Order: sequence, then structure tokens, then C-alpha cells
Amino acid sequence: MSGELLRVEGLKAGYGRGAGFVPVVSDINFAIGEGEALGLVGESGSGKSTIASAVLDLFPAGLSLHSGHIAYRGQDMAHLSPVARRQMLGVEIGAVFQDPMTSLNPAFRVGEQIAEPLVVHLGLSREAARKRAVELLADVEIVDPETVARSFPHQLSGGMRQRALIAAALACDPKLLVLDEPTTALDAQVEARLIELFNKLRRERGLSYLFISHSLKLIAQTCDRVVVLYAGQMVETGGSADLLARPTHPYSRALLDAVPNLDHAGSYRLQPIPGGRPDLANPPEGCRFAPRCAFARAECRTPQNLRSLGDREIRCCRAEQLELRPSTVQSPVPRNPITEEVVLAGEGLEKSYAQGTLLSNLRVGKGGVRVEKPRFHAVRGVDTGIRKGEILGLVGQSGSGKSSVGRMLMGLDTPTGGTVRFEGHDIAAMTGPGLAEYRRRVQMIFQNPDSSLNPRMTIREIVARPLVLFDIVPQAEVRAEVDRLLDQVKLPRSFANRYPHQLSGGEKQRVGIARALASRPDVLLCDEPVSALDVSVQAAIVTLIEDLRAETGLSFLFISHDLAVVAQLCDRVAVMFRGEIVELGDTRQIIDRPQHPYTRGLIAAARGGAGAAGTATGRDPLVVVK
Amino acid sequence: MLAERILPRPRLPAGILFGATVLVGMIVLAFVGPWVSPYAYDQMDIVARLKPPSADHWAGTDEYGRDVLTRTLLGTRTSLFIGFGATLVSLVLGVTFGLIAGYRRGLTGEVIMRLMDVMMAFPPLILVLMIVALTEPTPTKSALVVGLLFVPGIARVTRSITLDLSLKEFVLAARARGESQRYILMRELLPNALPVIIVEGSLNITFAMLLAAVLSFLGFGVQPPASDWGLMISQARRFIIPAPWIAITPGLFMCLTVVAISILGDSLRKHLDPRSRSFVG
Repeated sequence: MSGELLRVEGLKAGYGRGAGFVPVVSDINFAIGEGEALGLVGESGSGKSTIASAVLDLFPAGLSLHSGHIAYRGQDMAHLSPVARRQMLGVEIGAVFQDPMTSLNPAFRVGEQIAEPLVVHLGLSREAARKRAVELLADVEIVDPETVARSFPHQLSGGMRQRALIAAALACDPKLLVLDEPTTALDAQVEARLIELFNKLRRERGLSYLFISHSLKLIAQTCDRVVVLYAGQMVETGGSADLLARPTHPYSRALLDAVPNLDHAGSYRLQPIPGGRPDLANPPEGCRFAPRCAFARAECRTPQNLRSLGDREIRCCRAEQLELRPSTVQSPVPRNPITEEVVLAGEGLEKSYAQGTLLSNLRVGKGGVRVEKPRFHAVRGVDTGIRKGEILGLVGQSGSGKSSVGRMLMGLDTPTGGTVRFEGHDIAAMTGPGLAEYRRRVQMIFQNPDSSLNPRMTIREIVARPLVLFDIVPQAEVRAEVDRLLDQVKLPRSFANRYPHQLSGGEKQRVGIARALASRPDVLLCDEPVSALDVSVQAAIVTLIEDLRAETGLSFLFISHDLAVVAQLCDRVAVMFRGEIVELGDTRQIIDRPQHPYTRGLIAAARGGAGAAGTATGRDPLVVVK
Repeated sequence: MLAERILPRPRLPAGILFGATVLVGMIVLAFVGPWVSPYAYDQMDIVARLKPPSADHWAGTDEYGRDVLTRTLLGTRTSLFIGFGATLVSLVLGVTFGLIAGYRRGLTGEVIMRLMDVMMAFPPLILVLMIVALTEPTPTKSALVVGLLFVPGIARVTRSITLDLSLKEFVLAARARGESQRYILMRELLPNALPVIIVEGSLNITFAMLLAAVLSFLGFGVQPPASDWGLMISQARRFIIPAPWIAITPGLFMCLTVVAISILGDSLRKHLDPRSRSFVG
């Protein structure tokens, strides 16, 4: 026997029952051998997490298995009693989920949580389990495992928590780990180190992985094989490094062309995937990607089957006809002339917060009772200026203070030190009409499309509000102006009557941009505007921002943790580290010749960590001929 | 999101229709009933004491031989008045306090919430007795006092949801535009807090009617021989075995009202939520 560990056959799962059943995934077939790592890649709605929950028997409410088999070591899990299934899942299969903030119970010490399955499943004594937990923490390269075991989750950083979760997943010495976006919530450098850990653990323990991610690049660094999912179907499978370098299905290809590449950033435009993901209750006939595919022909409207093509499996009838060639013509990103004139500037900006409570800061000593006043310094002396017509990038990891800078420039937070100047005027001294004018001319685009629009207002009301507030157009023309703004952000005018929940994430983000543009601002402050979006949507928003800059001559501050996106979009970059700007300069220069060690680390992480998949990162942008 | 698409909510809010019909019917009965009835609400008949329901007395008579149905219908007026009046008072004050305290943390919020704590810490009956005992008891005063008692609860609920809402980016966007506090509270925060407030409010109507009954029972609410469901039920206590109809009739009315209000509140909440509307524009 080839040592097959997990086999999924004809899996179909979805919502509802009877005639109202809507499959979220269907016709899923794959196997994972002993010691093998398989990646599932796809955007939101592709069904990748549904497959993970099917394997782990952890369907969320409403979701259920329709048909298909999941077999572990040749044994169909459906034939096991619930107790035996639990036992097997607990011991043989471990799982690590995306959010390290919620995956650990805040009420228990980390060590206890790791020890728990040892007591329950393996029958170890409390004391033995505790010792084992410390060993496990050491295995996942936690420096001081004794202390961490005694800590509560809130005392650990995101990366540490994720390591603790991995330790918990490894507790019963499983053969298979299901990893559902285990690094998505983490900073690039933390991610790179975790990837190294995953690869090391697999080598040393002979583990198998079912690795779920939205990033093909990440999969190529960790997995042998990859399954690309689209709208609940497998569209392409193959060796992961090979597929990354030479995608065959138009969707795999589009997914790659939508991702900015640090080394070619700015020299070509990203290729967003047009349209949105299909309605699973009523999917397109034939190829589900056809409506968005640049190469769709009449024959694509007939049902497509997954078929073998060389060492790949592919669900595309035109696969042989489509051919990849390196791009010859690269449309350059439109750039505007930038002046030296600074529109919005922060001078010596500082922001600190009082820490603790009166009681916790009380100190009783020889000198009597005194109250300490510890402060947390989020931003320490930042000087930055957005020049007219430029896109200034602000990068840094979470907690570096970049969002605080954005909020102070927006006038949402009052700095504890320093001044914000708009065209030379201190905004703290502004009142009445002057302040209103500043508010009109400086606008903000937010990170989270789900919370940036009032769910109780229609799109028209949302976009019209700044028009009315700042008296941009006469009352009678508000309607027409909203239509114009929707055109500008490339949304259909009919969307004006919808509510936010009827829009996809990318569409909501466009509405947010339309709202910001409504008051005819000069400066747009964008706080992680594409971080919450799928890569194909992210590419669309990035190109929209590029177009807006070319059309309007707006100045932007673009705050992001994603160096590749910043490199694609920005003229200059400021790198923030622990509340300070450690490096500021021309984007290309900073990427090619970083001076500060922190910047070098960021760039290395963005390039793909410790070179886990060296060939995977130097990919040329690809276009398709024919 | 997917589940919504598969299970579209019915477009006709049947719950609203049902709840509103029952309540309107109740109010009409309250005014027309005692007028149509052949008995006056305080008309005693010693011979016909504690009579079970019959053709003459549809819901029987009480210990003084008064017609239970007439008294129940008359009681509808005071009960509904106190229920709705008290809730109105508590919503107006509680929602205002809650919104402000939730949006403006810091000193303003702190002062408001500590005031609410003081009100909550005060034994409700003592507070009520203090206010009512000093002056002549009237239904309006009962409604006001009961309403005041509910203010801290409503304020807390409103505040907690506002705390959460005011961190949302659409509120930041409004602040970044320089919107007035009034606009942010009324247009951005209130509509989103409304579902929770409606549910809380519709529960309070019921509690207010019950509390008013306690007041009446203690002699500080509705004064006999006038009637009110709570008063009738509490007075019928002694006869619950020999003459259960005296308590059952106002009890049934109260039960029906509570169910109608709950259904109305819940379907109103759903109806006001744009997410429940299945149209696509």
C-alpha cells in the first residue's frame, strides 16, 4: 500500500435540504499520502474551508454533507460511531485555524489547553500532560516554553498564539494536520517564520498537511501538490511549484496575474478578474468561470469535467489551445508629475495612551504611596508629508503605529505631541468654515468594507451625504452626481438603490471610495483599503486607485502591511517600526536598496521568507496569447 | 449570507398585521365595550356574587357581583395606557442617555452611567412609594414612575450596542466628514441600535403592566373601584379556587396583549432590517 492517509471522494456539501439544497462544494476528489502536503487554494466562496470542515466533521450550523466519502487510512469515517470518530479526529488529525485571537480560550492557561487532549484522548495524568505540553511548546520553537505554558492567551503575541495552537494540534502526535489559513491573520515576517516551522515539522515528524490558503505562493512554499478551487469545484490540480510557474487553467492564471510582484511592481498593471463570483444557488451552466474568462468560447457553456492533461488535472476544454508566453508588452502604470509641494504634513507627531488603572498603578514603598503613570507610546515623533499628486505608502507590521498616524492626519485622533498641517495651517487651530473646508478636502477610505458603510442606508443615501453636507451640488443635481460618482468607481448606477449587504466586498469598497470622492477632496487617506479583499478584487481596487490618481491628480496616503501592493502603487514609501519612521524614500530605491535592517527583513519576508521555494518568487508577469 | 438567499423571508409581515390587529381591537373594545355593556363597571349585585360565566354575565361576576368582563374591558384602558406610557418614557430617556453615554465615552458617559447606577441601586418600590405617596396617585403618575424605573435598563442596553457601533468605520467616516453629534447619533447610530431597542421596549411594555399591577395592589396605583388587569388579578387571588374566572379573564387579556406585542416587536425588528428585504434594486 502506498501509505494513503486521507481520501476524499465525490464530496458534496452545502446549505438547505431537499429541493432547496445549494451545494457549496461538489465533486471534490483528492487523496493525501503519508508525509504528503496538499494545498487547497481559492478565493472566498470557493469552498476551501467547507472541505476542511467536512474532513474535521465540524460543519458550521446550516452546512451539511450531501454525499461522498471521507476515508482515513481506508476506513470510511461515516461508518464509525460518533465516539470512535471523535477519538480518531482527536488523535490522528490535528487542526489549526486562522484566527489565533479566538482559537484559544482566554480563560485558561496556554499549557492547560495543550495538555487537555493528552488527558482526554491519551489518558495521561495531569502532571505528565503538563510536562508534555512544555515539550511541545519547545518543539514549535517557543523560546521560553515554561513561561508560555503558564501564560494566558492575551499575554502572547499573535505569532506566539499561533505556535501554541500548533503545539496543541500536535499534542496527540497526529499524522495529519488540517491548516486553515494558519498565517493569514499574521504579519509577513511572522508568517515567513511559521512557514519555516511547518516545513521543519513535516520533515522531522513525517506529517501530512491539508493546507488551505488564498495564496498560491504560500502553498508553493509548503505543499507538494495543489488543488485550485473555484465556486465549489476543483478547476486545476498539479505540483504546486510547477503550477505556480506554469498555470494552465485561465482562473489559476488570472489569480496569479492579480497578485502584485515586489520585483516587477509598478512596471505593469495588475490584471483584475472582471465580474464577481457566481451565485452558487444558480451557477452558470458549463464552466463556472466562463462568464469572467477572457478566453471563453461557445464550447465553454457545456458542462466541463475534470480531466487529465499531462501531470495535471484540469476542468477547461480549451486548456490545450491556450498557451502562455512571457509578457512582451507591459502597459506601464500611469504616473503623474509630482511636485515638491506638501499638501498634508505631520510634524513631530506623537501619540501615547495611559496604561493600567489607578489601582494597578498604585505603588506602595518606602517613600510612601505613589501613583505611577506608565504610558504606551504608539507613535513617537513622526515627520511625514504627502506631496501634491503622489501616493505615499506607509508600511509596517501591526502595532507599528501606521494607522494611528493616518487617524491623526485625518483629525480623528488628537496627537499628544506635534502638529498636523494642511497646506501649512495647523488643523488644531482650525474652526468653523476653515475646519469644514479641511474636512471636505481630506477624506478617508477604510479597511473593512463590511463596517465602513451604514447597513441601514441605501448606497444613494451614503454617497449623497457628503454632497449635501458640503453643499457640493444643488439639491436638484444630487441624483445625477451620485450616478456620476458610481460611474467613476465603475459600479452600475442601479446599485444606488441597494443596501450594503446586497453588495460584495469589492463593490462595498468601491462605494466607500465613491463616498470619499463625493466631496471633491484633494487628499485621500487610505487605511489598508485592500487588505480585507480577495486578490482578484484587490487588483481591481488597486487599478481603480491608479486610474483615479491619473484622472484627478489627487494625493494619497496609502497605509498597508503588504509591501508588494505598496510597491505596485506608491511613488514614495515610509517604513514604520515601533512608532517611528525608520526609512523614507523613493519606492524603487527602498525595495532595491533598503538601508534599515527592519526594511530588509520586511522585503525578505515579502519575497517569500527563507527561500523555501526559490523558483516560485521570481515569476515574470504572464499574459496569454491567442 | 447564503442562507438568506435560500430562505427568503416572507414579504408580507404577517406578524405586524397580527400584532397590530390584536392591539387595535383591544383598544376599540376598551372604549366601546364598557359603553355597550348593560352593566356599569362599579355596579354591585350582592345576589349575583361569584357567579360563573353565564348568558347574563359572559365572564361571570366577582365577589361584589360586578361584571368581570365589563371591568376587564375598562381595565384595558389603564393597563395599555400604563404599559405604553411607561415604555415611551423609558425609551425617550433611556435611549437618549444610552446613545450619548455610548458615543461619548469619557467623562460625559461616565457621569450618565453612574447616575443610572444610582437609580438602579435604589430599591424600586421605595422610589415609587416615595414619589407616589407624597401626592395623589393617578394612572399618569404610575406610568411616569414605572417608566423612570426602566430608564437605566434601556440606557444600559442602548449604551452597550452604541459602544460597539461607534467603533465601526462608517461612524469614523461620519466623524471624518465633520458631521454634528446630533447627526451621528440620530442617523448613523440610532437606526442600527433600533432592533435591540425595539425588542427590549416590547418586553418592557409587559413588565410595565405587571409593575403597575403591583402598585395598584399596594394601593398606590389605580384606585378601586376603578379597574386595571393587574389590580383585578391580584384581588382575585383569594377566590382563585372557588371563582377562577375572575382572574382568568383579565389574565387572558393580558396574555393575548403580551403575545401580540412580542410578535409585533419581533416582526417590526425584522421588517426594519434592510437585510431581511429580498428585493434587489
